[in-house]
Amino acid sequence: MLTLDSFIESIDYLPPMPRNVTSLINLLNKTDIDVDQVVQLIQYDPALTAQVIRHCNSAFFGGAPASDLHEATARVGYSEIFQLVVALSTAGLMRPQQKGYGIEVGELWKHCISAALVGKFVAADRGADASLVFTACMLHDLGKVALSRSLEAKYDEVIAETKRSQCPMLLVERNLLGFDHAEVGGRLLQQWNFPVELVQAVQFHHDPVAAPEHGQLAAYAYLANMIACFMGFGCGHQALAFQGRMEALDMIGTTPEQIPGYMAKAFYAIRDTEKLFGLPFAK
Amino acid sequence: MPAPSLIGIGFEHRVVVGLAELAVSNNPSAVLTTYSLGSCLGVAIYDPVVKVGGLLHAMLPDSSIDPAKAAAQPGMFLDTGLPALLREACGMRADKRRLRIYVAGGAQIMDDNNVFNIGGRNRAALAEFLRRENLHVDAQQVGGHVNRTMYFPIHTGRVTLKVSGLQNEIILC
Repeated sequence: MLTLDSFIESIDYLPPMPRNVTSLINLLNKTDIDVDQVVQLIQYDPALTAQVIRHCNSAFFGGAPASDLHEATARVGYSEIFQLVVALSTAGLMRPQQKGYGIEVGELWKHCISAALVGKFVAADRGADASLVFTACMLHDLGKVALSRSLEAKYDEVIAETKRSQCPMLLVERNLLGFDHAEVGGRLLQQWNFPVELVQAVQFHHDPVAAPEHGQLAAYAYLANMIACFMGFGCGHQALAFQGRMEALDMIGTTPEQIPGYMAKAFYAIRDTEKLFGLPFAK
Repeated sequence: MPAPSLIGIGFEHRVVVGLAELAVSNNPSAVLTTYSLGSCLGVAIYDPVVKVGGLLHAMLPDSSIDPAKAAAQPGMFLDTGLPALLREACGMRADKRRLRIYVAGGAQIMDDNNVFNIGGRNRAALAEFLRRENLHVDAQQVGGHVNRTMYFPIHTGRVTLKVSGLQNEIILC
């Protein structure tokens, strides 16, 4: 069995995270961000620029159409642009089919966008940084993209193991491969020089109390992932086979009774975003 | 010689019932379809005599958390979606006494303390409604940790399920 380090070194099939996203994410912790800085980071990618302007001009945001990135950014605001760019930029990584998990084309991306929108509502309710929570939720399942190939060769074993043991998918991954998608996702972000709070949020999104420092951000990712799965935006085989963690809710000061309210609130945002991104309903 | 049926020559059309929606049809070529139920409940009702069928994809048990949303989107909650489903089907001449009821979804996470069990609460809300209406479930596949998709062709009234990550469809009834 490979070690986590040698596995990470052996991955040569992942597209890189676009550089403007890493730079944009590094702006997250700064309080005095200038619209110009954001525009500069996006404008060198013509396809992304066009997508951002098109989305800003969609019915979702309303208003008179913006003709350039400056206008678009000024109109919908830095946070919205930031979240839009993170969501759009991860499409290349997240959209493809992930056979090792039984995930069809577009499903993982839709799951992550749904979780990110749920996370944003919970963050707003709890007074947390919406863009940081959005990003953590958007990236939480990144490790699945890396692990899918390894599981694909063992998919029959994955199905047999989940049937036999009724254990969480995370343990099935560990039993079959020696590590799980949360660890792999965290390690990839670390390698890409993402801020430590995002590394830990992804690494501990199934067990936030185990995080050394940034358990609270991991707890947001945990709760948002769970709610997205309840709403049917989970994806792949045994999508809901993970542990309930009451302590994650304690860490962000919320309760299970508030979950239905978060679901009802996130519903319209997710539905509008599905239209905006042309996400697939049909499989 | 009887005219060939539209179904036989591939004129089925898919009617997608989205999250928090419901649909009723007596069109024999319609296949009511609802994707990826998670802990939501998919409830199909069918009157085999008049061949009227309906499908609901409800997210939560109880509308009291948000009456405004329930008014705008009754399919979001079981306590508002189920009466609406029944009303619309009966409006198309379905007879409540003849209704067959098929249910899927209501999945849950691994939760020993049962604090996150939205799927279970959805199932309980359905059971309560059916008890009050003197109706019963004819076939179901609920619970577990999987996402299910329901296909419900009106001309047969037979529901099939697709479980996420598995290849074969399951015949529910």
